[in-house]
Amino acid sequence: MVHEYQNLRRVYLGIAIGLFIILVARLAYLQIFSWDTYYRESERNRVRDVVIEAPRGLLLDRNGEIMVDNRPAYSVSVIPYEFLESQSATSLLASILNESSVELVKAVRKEKIGNFSAVKVKRHIDFSVLSSIEEYRLDLPGVFYAVDSKRYYPAGIRAPHLFGYLSEITRDELSQVEDREYRMGDLIGKNGIEIIYEPYLRGQSGVKYIEVDVLGREVRELPELAGSSPQSGKNLYMTIDADVQRYLEKAMEGKRGAAVVLDPSNGEVLAIMSKPDYDPEIFSNPLTPEIWSALINNEEHPLYNRACQSLYPPGSIYKLVLAAAGLETGLIDLEETVTCYGSYRLGRRQFKCWKEKGHGEVNLLDAIQQSCNVYFYKKGLDVGLANWSKFSRFFRFGSKTGIDLPNEGSGLVPDAVYFDAKYGVKKWTRGLTLNLAVGQGELLTTPLQMAYFAMIVGNEGTAFRPHLVRKIEDPNTGESIEPGRERRQIVGISKSTYRTIKQGMYLVVNGPHGTGRASWVRGLNVCGKTGTAQNPHGNSHAWFIGFAPKDNPKIAFCVMVENGGGGGAVAAPIARGILTTYFRDNQLALGQ
Amino acid sequence: MSAIRNFDVGLVIAVVLLITFGLTAIYSATYVGEKQTEFTKQLLWAVLGLVVLTAVVVTPLKSYYKNAYLLYGLSVILLVVVLFVGKGAGTRRWIALGPAWIQPAEFAKIGTLLALSRYLSNEHRKLDNLRELTVAFAIAFVPLALVMKQPDLGSALVFLALVLPVLHWAGLSPAILFVLLAPLASLLSAFNYYSFLIVMILLSVTFLLCQRGLTFFLVNFIINIGVGILTPIVWNLLKEYQKNRILTFLGLVRDPHGLGYQVIQSKVAIGSGGLLGKGFLDGTQTHLRFLPEQHTDFIFCVIGEEFGFIGVFLVLALFFYLVVKGIRISTSVKSKFSSVVVFGATIIFLFQIFVNIGMTVGIMPVTGLPLPFLSYGGSSLLANLILVGLILNASRKRFEYL
Repeated sequence: MVHEYQNLRRVYLGIAIGLFIILVARLAYLQIFSWDTYYRESERNRVRDVVIEAPRGLLLDRNGEIMVDNRPAYSVSVIPYEFLESQSATSLLASILNESSVELVKAVRKEKIGNFSAVKVKRHIDFSVLSSIEEYRLDLPGVFYAVDSKRYYPAGIRAPHLFGYLSEITRDELSQVEDREYRMGDLIGKNGIEIIYEPYLRGQSGVKYIEVDVLGREVRELPELAGSSPQSGKNLYMTIDADVQRYLEKAMEGKRGAAVVLDPSNGEVLAIMSKPDYDPEIFSNPLTPEIWSALINNEEHPLYNRACQSLYPPGSIYKLVLAAAGLETGLIDLEETVTCYGSYRLGRRQFKCWKEKGHGEVNLLDAIQQSCNVYFYKKGLDVGLANWSKFSRFFRFGSKTGIDLPNEGSGLVPDAVYFDAKYGVKKWTRGLTLNLAVGQGELLTTPLQMAYFAMIVGNEGTAFRPHLVRKIEDPNTGESIEPGRERRQIVGISKSTYRTIKQGMYLVVNGPHGTGRASWVRGLNVCGKTGTAQNPHGNSHAWFIGFAPKDNPKIAFCVMVENGGGGGAVAAPIARGILTTYFRDNQLALGQ
Repeated sequence: MSAIRNFDVGLVIAVVLLITFGLTAIYSATYVGEKQTEFTKQLLWAVLGLVVLTAVVVTPLKSYYKNAYLLYGLSVILLVVVLFVGKGAGTRRWIALGPAWIQPAEFAKIGTLLALSRYLSNEHRKLDNLRELTVAFAIAFVPLALVMKQPDLGSALVFLALVLPVLHWAGLSPAILFVLLAPLASLLSAFNYYSFLIVMILLSVTFLLCQRGLTFFLVNFIINIGVGILTPIVWNLLKEYQKNRILTFLGLVRDPHGLGYQVIQSKVAIGSGGLLGKGFLDGTQTHLRFLPEQHTDFIFCVIGEEFGFIGVFLVLALFFYLVVKGIRISTSVKSKFSSVVVFGATIIFLFQIFVNIGMTVGIMPVTGLPLPFLSYGGSSLLANLILVGLILNASRKRFEYL
């Protein structure tokens, strides 16, 4: 029997030897020849670089009050590998976050980079959500929360049009940024100061190396791999006066409109605001199409920055430009009077003055003080469209002021070329000039341009670029830079013309028949001009611009309330509030 | 004294060393601090196993022969019972036996081996007629089918791997062996029209060369054609995960989080161990749980990662010693029953070793088969020690004719 097994034994020993040789050869290949490849692979498995986000720079007001700060917030992240496997976890988390489970899964699938890299599903969760997640921790595999930071507004000013907001960088933006500083999921400034000063505000994130397990959970730090510590972003000391800004936030609440307050001595923006606004918080999480379309289709257009983006006819304020053009060209004489019967006839059309009974006999200063339309209709025809356009441009209408905010509008100063293009050569009448003379018609300006104009008049020809930042300070080193003021001299208008206009504006506020008396402040010599701009969208827009005091003004402003009604009744009282707030500590100016 | 005499000490030492390696790897794979539940349990199973092994060795060989069919019957009954009361993640594999969980499939291997050995060792068996072959196959296919039903593809394959070599060992002629293997070739080629055609031509030529008459040729031809037609149908009846395993192995499905992921991580674990390994308890793949099933089916990776090529070579050397020893003993025993038992036990080891390690190094499909003596699991350890006991028993009494 032993003998008959000899062959079988040889066969099966051969098979066994063969199989073991295969295994040993394979192991030698893996462990000896490919060792470095697999070793690197195993290191890549376990070592993760974790970005330590740097605190973003703060925004402070001109007196050092913090307006935009950082505050810790919790965000929820998931590890796709574990989370997507568990049907019950997805539906449980969806119900905790009050979202649809299908949408949640879709979002995670869309955002995920790898199966083991965390995907942030929601930022800035509130405490009840946090405690629910903690409570159901065992039923939520692959779900964890982490602390990151969010903006908050301790001064009570959220002003999204001014500050802007932060939101996660999109894939498109990520592909556009040159430097490698940004990663998926990073916050980036959108809109306002946050976007314009993004390179300064954004700190330099640090990195640390950790060892993770298969679920991406941190096991320990790896001190043997040196990381880098985060560098905070730079703080911006803004030109904003928090008190004035706060006052405007309150005064304009519930209205549609804008206000701009400038320091005419250097172009610093003391306050700038636009209402209605929106909660910058809604952008902290990826926008759902519903929220986005609700914002876009909102009839109040809360996303528009009415202070420097939206364009409006300025109404009667623009009479001042015509006055300047008339005085400079000699087509307006100070003493010359025009009689207002309540309307002006051009051809077959009647152009009405706002006062039906008429102003009677008025000279230039009377006409400014009482905002008589008839006087300026007549003078508009005398001065002519060409001069009107030329002097409008002298005052920089039709071009941007260069403020450090995004999407500034340049407005529109029509001229003959424009009308020829629009209506055809010789197809338009002098009636258009009449409308322009009183700041109506095709003329479009921004409230910022109007405040800029008030600064030019107040300074008698000197303008400064409006700007929002006084100082950029690096909190790590204490070093700072000051952008400084940018002076622009207005040419073509003489001092005497400015003084005449200023006198007219003084009378608007202080004269017995002034339309802007509601902005009067004892001892301050406020100068102003009202505007009541008719528009096809309902009630007139209420305008008021001005500066104070009359000589060497310390403040220039523009207030505009959309469809608010009369400028003197609606806008001027808000301007008064600006003045009393700004000069609150100046007992003399307030006459107390 | 007679219990010690002829006791193959080398084999015992090899097995104890393998178990020690296993315990070390289990300790490392499940190391989470103070508690060592799996390690302690496995240690208890090993002690129990060695006691049982001793009992198996001293029990007269005759009683295994006598009780072979009884033990087989019991195994089959257990396999039926487990289908009704069994537990497991989506499967029915374990039965509670007091505080322990046992896996009947592991013990069914022994029962089947004994029954096959007894049937084949009968002096009148010529294995040249259909009746005898059918009975032999039935002995293996009943437990195979029951294990498949659990489902436990890996364990089921052991029965399949066992039956042909054992028949061959017991005297089945190469021609019949070829007839039996032919359908496997038909099966593998059936997914492609051209490959199937080529295989059919080759098979037909070989069948003709056997010169066993027209009936022989026609029957075989029809069987192989039938297999070719049935294969795609059966394929569609397979469970999704079973299909995936086969497809992933064949490289037809790229699925980094499924089974492909397991193989990738297991290769990374072994490969990153290098020549000397990362050191005991220092395997990052193991301790950060990148390895799947690291203390059961993929235990070999732990050794590969922490003890490197030196470690795995040592384990392979011990296994090789075990297999060679088994084959040698099976050819030197006088009793045909013992010879088939020892050979069968050796084949079970060889198959499990090659398939399990082959799986961890990515040259075999992931079938969920434990590595003998090393993988965590009491039933598997106990059953394998019983098989070793049978080999030792036969080796002691190799001059007895039963």
